[in-house]
Amino acid sequence: MNVYHPKLSAGIWLLGMIIIGILGSQALTKDWLETGFLALLPANEQQPEVAKAIRQHNELINRKVIWLTGAASSTQAIAQAQKLKRQLEQSKLFSKVVLEFPQQQYIRQYQQLFPYRYQLLDAQSQVILSTRPEELIRQNLEMLNSPIGQMQAANLERDPSLLFGRYFNAQHPIKLNLEQGIVVLADRQQFWALLLTDLQDERLQLDKLETLLQLVNNAAGQVKATGGELLVSGMALFTAHGAQSAKQEISTVGAGSSLGIIVLLLLTFRSLRPLLLSMLALASGLIAALVLSILCFDKIHILTLVFGASLMGVAIDYALHFFCDSFDAKAWFPLQGLRFIMPGISLGLLTTLLSYAGLGLSPFPGLQQVAVFSASGLIVAWLTVVLLFPLLLTGFNPKHRPILLKATAYWQRHWPVWLFSHNRWLGLAAGVLVLGGLWRLTPQDDVRLLQSPPVELMHTADKIRQLFPMTPESQFFLVSGHDQADWFQNEQRLIKRLEALKQQKTLSYYQGLSQYWPDRNTQQQNYLLLKHKLIDSGLLERYMTDLGFDREAVKAELKQFAEAERKTLTLPEWLANADESKQQLWLGCDEGRCQSTVALIGISDVSALAAVRNLPGVIWVDQVEQLSSLFARYRIRASGLLLIAFCLALAGLGFKFGWRNGASIMSVPVVALAVSLAMLGWFSQLFSLFNLFALLLVLGIGVDYGLFFFIAGDRRDSTSLGVMLSALTTLLAFGLLATSSTEIVHAFGFTVAAGIVTALICAPLVGFRGDKNQHDKQ
Amino acid sequence: MVNPALFQNSLGLSCRYILTPFLKLLLLFFLLRGQSYADDELSQITARLVKTPITQGDFHQQKHLKVLRKPLISTGSFTYHQSKGVIWKTLTPVVSLLLVNESKLLTGQGEQAVPVAFGKVFKAMLGGDLSALSDGFSVIGTDQKTSWQLALTPKDELLKLIISTMQLSGDTELRRLEIRETGGNVTTISFDNIIHPTQLTAEQEADFERLSP
Repeated sequence: MNVYHPKLSAGIWLLGMIIIGILGSQALTKDWLETGFLALLPANEQQPEVAKAIRQHNELINRKVIWLTGAASSTQAIAQAQKLKRQLEQSKLFSKVVLEFPQQQYIRQYQQLFPYRYQLLDAQSQVILSTRPEELIRQNLEMLNSPIGQMQAANLERDPSLLFGRYFNAQHPIKLNLEQGIVVLADRQQFWALLLTDLQDERLQLDKLETLLQLVNNAAGQVKATGGELLVSGMALFTAHGAQSAKQEISTVGAGSSLGIIVLLLLTFRSLRPLLLSMLALASGLIAALVLSILCFDKIHILTLVFGASLMGVAIDYALHFFCDSFDAKAWFPLQGLRFIMPGISLGLLTTLLSYAGLGLSPFPGLQQVAVFSASGLIVAWLTVVLLFPLLLTGFNPKHRPILLKATAYWQRHWPVWLFSHNRWLGLAAGVLVLGGLWRLTPQDDVRLLQSPPVELMHTADKIRQLFPMTPESQFFLVSGHDQADWFQNEQRLIKRLEALKQQKTLSYYQGLSQYWPDRNTQQQNYLLLKHKLIDSGLLERYMTDLGFDREAVKAELKQFAEAERKTLTLPEWLANADESKQQLWLGCDEGRCQSTVALIGISDVSALAAVRNLPGVIWVDQVEQLSSLFARYRIRASGLLLIAFCLALAGLGFKFGWRNGASIMSVPVVALAVSLAMLGWFSQLFSLFNLFALLLVLGIGVDYGLFFFIAGDRRDSTSLGVMLSALTTLLAFGLLATSSTEIVHAFGFTVAAGIVTALICAPLVGFRGDKNQHDKQ
Repeated sequence: MVNPALFQNSLGLSCRYILTPFLKLLLLFFLLRGQSYADDELSQITARLVKTPITQGDFHQQKHLKVLRKPLISTGSFTYHQSKGVIWKTLTPVVSLLLVNESKLLTGQGEQAVPVAFGKVFKAMLGGDLSALSDGFSVIGTDQKTSWQLALTPKDELLKLIISTMQLSGDTELRRLEIRETGGNVTTISFDNIIHPTQLTAEQEADFERLSP
């Protein structure tokens, strides 16, 4: 250590940070944050076509925001909606605001499809024509004579068989009503005008989300002021509320814990230096971790950031241990302090690195990222302590004895004695506590448990779904085929199954392209069907004549039919004028594969749909289920890695200090972990992947505590202060998260709190030799 | 000519509002009879109508379509119940049944969307808010000794594209209804054998039962 020059080492540190800064200035400018959950799947499990379909489907859903203005009369509701529309357009948040439904598109659609009318038949007409063609004539008469048959009657001239009208109507399975060109819905109390919007961006920035929330609140206030009601729903609102509440909680908890930590450190050290230096160590670690991870992985996942940063919490130990050492010497010099704490914090770092390294061995990219992130962060934080602190702590030599030091000194001497003297029943109680808790522990991986959206938001979404049952579910089917004909057949088979399920009320609607666009073969079959059943049989002629058509009109219709024989409507042509929601179902053809999605609306029994299997080219995509099972697999994987981490840490410590001592040090994190898990069980807390990261943090910190006490020798008093300070700051920083109402955050905080408290309770037992300590200070 | 079939909105929903002027009118008419109001012709005519909760009778409908050499003729019976809705039973040329109230519309083809305006008028009238009638139509009435006539012209731009005028005429009952479409088609319905029973028959009750949610 005599070659150690504080200024030189500080220079090296500075140089290193500058390099990281330069690297960072390049790395952080590109798009480095990943949020899609598919990125968390091992590479060999990602099916690119499924991923693409999910992306497309989500984009369709996530951008939509539905607005319903309610009032006692439809005129009022429409007026409100018109006013709202102007506000929404001014906000610049939306790429599309639709109130009046464009008639032009429909005229275009009608005109485009009309020439192919002998090739286009809806499913129902196909069945009627092939089995009982006379029934079609009867239904036509019923429609024409019905008091609501104006439309059919008006179309009779161009479409005598009314078959094109049936096809065109079947394109739009859900019938809603228009007033002044605006969709108006009604329930028992009110009329609702419908406004549909698409957000500019599928993933809104946080500030935009806030603007959206503000917009919603303002608009709701305005509508309410006139005695109406506003219903708004959309994925973005759920995200916005989630982000808002998480932000609020984290900032409240964050402010509280920062304040606590500041007060604690100031009271203890009566100097700003330890506080600023701890922050510097953590900040350098975080920045370095971020930059190095991005360099390493190109893109890092948002969860990596959250868990990596949490796991880095261990780093505070190194700094605090350094500062606390100063209380143990009359004339304290930083270098001398460093010399003393060096083995402790270095071994602590090594064991923690060993245990986190386990994560890197996993094939799950998320876990690898967390391993690299937290390891590099810890190393840099440790380097900051070792290289920079000696210089910056020059002249730091507190002369006071803080109350906390006196307290912890007393505690570390008497607490183990008390524990040892009651070891029988304490051991029994602890055993019962742990085993009982573990017995009750049940993992929950359902992602829906992780979200806790506000109740009103759920109510609104339900109400909108009742009024306007058009929002596709997150589940869907992905259909593929090696060419268009193959795809078409596969989708048709699926649609037959879905129709049966719809009859059983398993779902309200489904939407697949092949329902609307018949492929070339089917178009020919449709034409032939018409030819056999209506034309060749003379049925159409008879029907038209009976109805009162001129001879010329009959002839003209037969001629048009004959001329249309060779016509085919291609899919791109059909798609060109189709509704956006239908265009988005088509994923296109490439490399000998054609794909589409079949959207589902109003699912009442997911399992019945998930059971639709054994259909060629059909994949059931349930993102919620997939994500849940992904979390479950991550949880199992991380549990295994946690076990490996323990073994590695034990092996490392055993190698250095002998197995007995290694086991004694490791007993701290083992007990902490067991008690933490047991507490989760006793309090029926959420146990999922997220708790495991908390447990890793507990492991890292627990090892440190055990280790510090083990090598404390005659400096157990200052060590106990260091450990106590570390425990208190960790509890303030992470333990307070247990008060969160967001399930994941709460579970994380709870696990850390239980683990750290237990580690703190157990740590003084390590290296405790009753009488030898008695003649120490005081 | 504008084709009514083109009035479809981009959500894929066919626009029933414009398809049911007749039914709406019919209901309007029946609702009118429950009201008593002051000066204008509309109110005087209303005052002449027989006021009971149930009205039933036969109808004879002629649709003159431009493309057809002869009219489409259908006959059948109808039943109106103040709170339950309307049963429209066609007997010739094909038997079919149409049931409607403010929230449901059932035909041989299954359940269909009910025009919001339909329920609106229904409610407005029951609530005594007759301005709703003149909200949707410009009304010109002529009240003569033995008979009366009402000419309604739609105000709604969309409806205007389809319907040019609607004529109602009658005495103590509505006797005749004529709808002239802009395309030249004309529908005439005459009502005969109108009676006002105090109770619905079991069959009528059963039909209305199908409408209840």
